[in-house]
Amino acid sequence: MSRRREDGETKEALHQIVNEMYKKLEKGETPTMTLPVRTKLNIDFDKKLGVYKYGKKRSTRDASSLGSAKNLLRALHMVEFIDEMIDNGKSSTLREMYYISEGWGHGKFSTQNESNNLAEDLEIITSSMREDFRLRPEEDGSRIIGNLTINELNRRGEWMKINARDDVGDSGYGVPYNVEEEKIQLLDHDIDFIMAIETGGMFDRLIENGFDEEFRCGLVHLKGQPARSTRRILKRMNEEWNLPVVVFADGDPWSFRIFGSIAYGAIKTAHISEYLATPSATYLGVTADDIVAYDLPSDDLTNKDIEALKSELSDPRFADGYWQEQITTMLKLGKKAEQQSLAKYGLDFVTDTYLPEKLAELGLA
Amino acid sequence: MSIAEKMASNQKQIAISEFFEKNKHFLGFDTLNRAIITAVKEAVDNSLDACEEARILPDLSIEIRRVPNKKDHLILIAKDNGPGIPQKSIENVFGKLLYGSRFHAIRQSRGQQGIGITGVVMYSQLTTGKQTYVKSKISSESTAIEVNLGIDTRKNKAVKFSQERVIWTEDDEIIEHGLMIRTEMKAKFQRGSQSIGQYLKMTSIVNPHANIKFRYVNSDGEIEIDEFWKRATNNLPTQVNSIKPHPHGIHLGQLQRMLKDSDERKLTSFLRQNFSGVSSRAAKEVCTKAGLNDGAKPKLLKTEQINQLLEACSEVKFLPPPTNCLSPIEDLLIKKGLSKTIDSKFVTTLTRSPRVTSGNPYQIEVGLIFGGSIPSDQQVQLLRFANRVPLMYQQGGCLLTQAISSVDWRQYGLEQSGGKGVPKGPATILVHLASTNVQFTSEAKEAVASNEDVLQEIRKALLEVGRNLRRHMKKKKKMAKAQEKFDLINDILPAIAEKASSLLNKPVPELSATISKIMNAVIMEQTTTWDKETKTTRINGILYNYTSRPRSYTILMNWPEKQGAVMIDNERGGRKETIGLWAWKIETLQPGERANIEFGLDNLEKGDWTETEVFYRGSAEVIGASKLDEKILEEMKNQNSDEVLETMEVITGDIDETISNVASRSMLNESTSDEIQKESFQTTLFDEEEEV
Repeated sequence: MSRRREDGETKEALHQIVNEMYKKLEKGETPTMTLPVRTKLNIDFDKKLGVYKYGKKRSTRDASSLGSAKNLLRALHMVEFIDEMIDNGKSSTLREMYYISEGWGHGKFSTQNESNNLAEDLEIITSSMREDFRLRPEEDGSRIIGNLTINELNRRGEWMKINARDDVGDSGYGVPYNVEEEKIQLLDHDIDFIMAIETGGMFDRLIENGFDEEFRCGLVHLKGQPARSTRRILKRMNEEWNLPVVVFADGDPWSFRIFGSIAYGAIKTAHISEYLATPSATYLGVTADDIVAYDLPSDDLTNKDIEALKSELSDPRFADGYWQEQITTMLKLGKKAEQQSLAKYGLDFVTDTYLPEKLAELGLA
Repeated sequence: MSIAEKMASNQKQIAISEFFEKNKHFLGFDTLNRAIITAVKEAVDNSLDACEEARILPDLSIEIRRVPNKKDHLILIAKDNGPGIPQKSIENVFGKLLYGSRFHAIRQSRGQQGIGITGVVMYSQLTTGKQTYVKSKISSESTAIEVNLGIDTRKNKAVKFSQERVIWTEDDEIIEHGLMIRTEMKAKFQRGSQSIGQYLKMTSIVNPHANIKFRYVNSDGEIEIDEFWKRATNNLPTQVNSIKPHPHGIHLGQLQRMLKDSDERKLTSFLRQNFSGVSSRAAKEVCTKAGLNDGAKPKLLKTEQINQLLEACSEVKFLPPPTNCLSPIEDLLIKKGLSKTIDSKFVTTLTRSPRVTSGNPYQIEVGLIFGGSIPSDQQVQLLRFANRVPLMYQQGGCLLTQAISSVDWRQYGLEQSGGKGVPKGPATILVHLASTNVQFTSEAKEAVASNEDVLQEIRKALLEVGRNLRRHMKKKKKMAKAQEKFDLINDILPAIAEKASSLLNKPVPELSATISKIMNAVIMEQTTTWDKETKTTRINGILYNYTSRPRSYTILMNWPEKQGAVMIDNERGGRKETIGLWAWKIETLQPGERANIEFGLDNLEKGDWTETEVFYRGSAEVIGASKLDEKILEEMKNQNSDEVLETMEVITGDIDETISNVASRSMLNESTSDEIQKESFQTTLFDEEEEV
């Protein structure tokens, strides 16, 4: 199910952005760039796709101030750069592009965040993915352990069969940045579900305790807020193998957001939510209730945490009863807990007691 | 009582070396670094005083040489073009503790550090055993005299070791008059904020009439430092008159001595003859209050009676003492002095009217420089001066520092934690206290003692320059905003058009309509620069109409007309609005059009005129210029015509005053009250709060 777009189509879409500016200049008006509003105020649930997508709100950037005029100029340079890469069959990392912008005169970026954001803007405006632009992130994806077999096209152009339990070391199978069909094929598995884990410490604990074999599951390390490729491969395993996905994260407002981006789509990438989100994913824990139920060692919520929770209350992705309750409970408690606080009851508590109990609730153990 | 007086009154003979050792902290020789600074100070002060008295524009040269192979040995060579010292006086000047006439005079003087140049001769001898070489030439004699001097520490007087007549030439030129000293002492040469370089730089700021050269030669004979601070004016400080003491400023010892020396037969006439501000009515009142007979013989008063007299003096009102005994530097010259020594973007200075505290006349001058190469992440540098002498030590305990610290500088754009203390930022603040009687915290004369009157007076002056700084920053901010717009239309927009066109393979569109849309304003871009080639100040202004309608304006700019500047190359013509304000009529400026206003200013020096104010008359706002307030202009015109009739001397000589300050200055000069420190004219000439 490669979603790769035709190069001609991508270029055409990018040139629409240029055209918008040029037309305005021709008419003696201020050049503009129109794009969807990229905040939680403008994400709507797409019933057909089951994920959150950008709504109809549009914002216009115009060249009437120095800052936004520079942004328009940068967009033009970026379009030219992508054009050239497509024509020459090259690709670059986002970081490389940031450094290349040094030569863009007034259009150069002052931070890489600026260039990353603009690349996303262009994706959204043109309904493309950055792979279409020949841009890739520098961060690699996550790690997977479990009895599942993947076919990966290696650098010599040969397909390589990898079993994520038998053919890998303790660090597991490393997910590449491109996990589309032309690079990764999902061959076979003998597991019942996928567990996505926020922290490396917990991921390694479960491996050491042999949790994947005992409970017949695949373990995926999220590395905090998961990269696009991580979310994409979760979705593919969920869809192609029909495996349930559960998320095991810290019990704090940021973990809720991690889950939100896996299950419903992230605000930053709402334009491609249908490719990245796994709507059927469930949140296993640590929940606000767990903190009380298991009497976990906890920390007080910081002001930032409280702000984040309050903001989540009005986030459409967390509008359902379950999340409203989790969030208000945590606010009332005023506490948060890490996954690894479960170690209070010993190293095996998490695999012997906590997870079996939680999974039983979901009918997975 | 100064230390020198203490010494003089001390009848017991003590070995001079012992005295020196005991008192070196307030003689200024307590550390090796300070010793050389003190020595330079004595030499420089003597030279400046001598030149001033002889009405000679001073050329001073200070050279420090490190003696090779000797730890902490320095040679000091000080030269001046002063009147020189007659042969017979040399031993007295250099070898006696109390010599010179200025000791009992009540007037503003640089004052001595410790025991004067004699201290240097002694210190040299005590630390190196070497004699001090003196060469002096007076204009009435054809040859110079060369003397090697030492001090007989038992007899407490100078001893000549050799003496010779020579012809003094420098660079093949015969020296008409001057003095040169060479002495070797144990001392350490340092750089930084407490160094000879800093001392001389500060001296040059407050003595803008002096040429000062400074050279440091290391032990390898290489010149490491070679500085020259050129004089900024050819006008010598005004000669100060001595005044009699004022009864409110007198101390017991002084009063005792004056009574003892008096020839008057009656107490009332003693009071009237020997003090300033004492009328016959006041003299009688003092006697009555003191319970003494008008006709009491002054010479015969007993200590108890003298005490009563002193007490009575403090209770009686007197006329204020005359203030012509003060010689302020004047704000303009401070500005010049600061501009030439410190690279900065903005300078503001102020000289307050003289005032009186406890019978002593005093006058406050302040300056503030901002921006340029001054580091912005450090404490503001403070330059403290008392009677034109830099204060280098004990900054924390000084009244001048307290006054600066008491101002909330945050409101004027400097950083300051809690609104107290020495502020932070790219600035230097100068405070000069001129007084007939500067009260120091100690004999070291490095920190001015607390005095509430003086503190408040300094504060007032600082607030004024603070306001000027804030105004400057506001203007800069406005200009930065306008500059952003210029960058946008001059650089970014053409780049967008060019890139978009090339990506689409289409012709580059015409941008003027877009530019008007974006700017939608009339903008004045103006620069004031110094042209090295022609040695003139160039003022360039461009008025852009970036609106969709034709506009017409009168543009006005201030210029230092009264200060002797000559307007040149004004091709657009225009007319004189009033003194120091020129106007150009811009009939119609079509959308997208620009109008240039250019002229030069001759007869000025670099740094004299660095900022030009632009005003406009017209309906629509001009970014980068201020709307002219016609009422204020009318007042200015009236004032100018009055001034022309009355006198021309008020403003002449002042070069770098803005038109706004001209108004406030003349107000100041007309008024006898020194309370009239009103907000400067500039604040009311246009609405300050108006934002672009």
